[in-house]
Amino acid sequence: MATETSAQVLPYDEMARRHRIETILTRAIIYALLLIGAAIILIPFLWMVSTSLKVERQLFEWPPRWIPDPVAFENYWNAWEQLGSIAPGLTFWRIIGNTLFITVLAMFGEMFSAAVVAYGFARFRFKGRDVLFFIMLSTMMIPGVLTRVPSFLIWREVGLLNTYDPLTLPAWTAWGPAYVFLLRQFFLTIPREMDEAAIIDGANPVQIFFYVMLPLVKPAFLAIGVLAFQGNWNNFEGPLIYLNTTQLFPLILSIQFFQQSLSKEAPKWHYMMAMATMMAAPILLLFFMAQRYFIEGLNVGAVKG
Amino acid sequence: MGDPGAFNSYYPTFLRYIGTAIVLGLLIYLTYQGLRKLGVKREAATGFALITPWLIGRILLTAFPILLSFYLGFTEYNILWDEPRSLKDPLFNYKRALSFKIVEFDKDERVSIAKLGQLEAEGPDIVRYRELDSVVIGDTRYVIAATDVYLWRAIWLTLRYAVLSIPLGMAGALAVALLLNQNVKGVGYWRTLYYLPAVLPAAAVALLWFWLFAPNRGLINWALGPIYDLTNSEPLGWFTDKNLVLPSFVIMSMWGIFGANTVILLAGLKNIPPDLYEAASIDGAGNWVKFRHVTIPMLSPTLFYVLIMGVIGALQLFTEQAFIPTEREDGWFVNWFLYNEAFNFGRMGYASAVGWLYAVFIIAITLLVFRSSAAWVFYEGAREKEAGGA
Repeated sequence: MATETSAQVLPYDEMARRHRIETILTRAIIYALLLIGAAIILIPFLWMVSTSLKVERQLFEWPPRWIPDPVAFENYWNAWEQLGSIAPGLTFWRIIGNTLFITVLAMFGEMFSAAVVAYGFARFRFKGRDVLFFIMLSTMMIPGVLTRVPSFLIWREVGLLNTYDPLTLPAWTAWGPAYVFLLRQFFLTIPREMDEAAIIDGANPVQIFFYVMLPLVKPAFLAIGVLAFQGNWNNFEGPLIYLNTTQLFPLILSIQFFQQSLSKEAPKWHYMMAMATMMAAPILLLFFMAQRYFIEGLNVGAVKG
Repeated sequence: MGDPGAFNSYYPTFLRYIGTAIVLGLLIYLTYQGLRKLGVKREAATGFALITPWLIGRILLTAFPILLSFYLGFTEYNILWDEPRSLKDPLFNYKRALSFKIVEFDKDERVSIAKLGQLEAEGPDIVRYRELDSVVIGDTRYVIAATDVYLWRAIWLTLRYAVLSIPLGMAGALAVALLLNQNVKGVGYWRTLYYLPAVLPAAAVALLWFWLFAPNRGLINWALGPIYDLTNSEPLGWFTDKNLVLPSFVIMSMWGIFGANTVILLAGLKNIPPDLYEAASIDGAGNWVKFRHVTIPMLSPTLFYVLIMGVIGALQLFTEQAFIPTEREDGWFVNWFLYNEAFNFGRMGYASAVGWLYAVFIIAITLLVFRSSAAWVFYEGAREKEAGGA
């Protein structure tokens, strides 16, 4: 009806058609952009894996070779063999042992102490609590440069340099304020009646903590577990400062040592990429298994804070 | 495996680890009992007792080191010595770090170290002024000379890195988050994919990009090959080129940081109530207006969080630098510079002094960002409170 009076107004199905084309076009652009992003992320990543499986002469082939031929799985072993040749006693298994020892101990201490401290901050009223909690959050802002030298001197003074103590013992003191914050947020959501019911049933605070509170915050507890594992696995500065016997080196420090001593002049990229892949593999595996917890941990600070 | 050395290095630490846990458990228990004896209520005593592990840790391992570091800043302390030595001029470390002057030369005159002079403060060694930069105005060359040129270069590099990498990273992450928020099919998979670089350890990322950027036969220079051919130019040196160290680090940082921030911002976007957009549409708002007046204000707390984390992270970059050995001449990041001063060049006193200055600087910047947040961060909770009070 209206079409006769105005040339600008299009018939209904023509408008719908245009709208549909527009939508399809927009979606096409969105997916195209997403694919470009995916390529930017995946190409370097695949290049790392590809390089790690090459024999030395194929490293610098021009144009670059994507599929190694032969596939040199032995790089993953030979890299450590070669490192062992200049760092006696630093074998593949030793490195794995060192890394896991540090990571697991520090992770467990961090998780457990963060839960205890967060429980104290969240479920009990006491004088100065809010001030102390504010101080705890502020410690996140203290730059590491401030404590690096004196911490080194303190551990030297007590004769524990070149042991794993500085990397694991302090974990018991809830050294990650972010973890305490995250768990506290979860403890706060638990209704008070829970504690009261448990107290009436004759439970003491220790029992309440283990049998009522921890099971209720399990997702958050596992989230900080995942983050703590990642954090300690990737911790470079600590081992760099406190350890100087090569036998004690964890993975990350071994890789840096390899790069500094064996790969400085003529970089052995295939070995270094094999090492980088091994450094990344457990974290990637953990990520795929426990993605929910990664994302949960990442978001809590931002959205709830 | 089966090597006795391993066991010998694990079990003493393991015993002390268990011991520490027991001691801290006892500390909680004794604090509780002590407070109860003093007549403190059960609830307060329990709460305070539970946070004592944190409290004791922060006193011994944070507060005390900070004070010790302040004291060390006024001493000379080589890592090989048992004790710090006092300085004739207690401010020597600070003067060494901060002294600079402008010296005039004729335009064609050679800049001589002798003319630049040396630091007058009395210290363990003679510190000369060195040329940092120079400007020619008319017939005169004004040479800016500093006693520690490496420190100033490190600060300059770190600041430029922060100023470039943070906004670029945030804008990029926001763009990707907006894309993923467009009812994209399989959002979970895309999110996983985009998060991948953030999961990779910084050390692995650094090694990988060092290899990608290898001037000789790296993948990036290969991809840029046609452009080099077309413009008839030499392949770029990236991390080995004095002028490209900064862009290389920025590009690498964008690849790595993208993901984590994308995930955080995406969660923030999902939290925006859809009725706000509907209301805006009814009022005739277009996409840009909606983005500017709904998305950005509603997302500002999340953006603020990402910004704060970005500032703290960028100013303290460390691990990446350790795996990408750039020349000291071309600029080290401040954190790496300070590590080397203390642990490789034997100047722990000096590193403590500069560390203090730098920490104050970082905290000041962070607080400045916090202060600025009042102007641009929109908290819905705060608005509701105001509305409720009115």
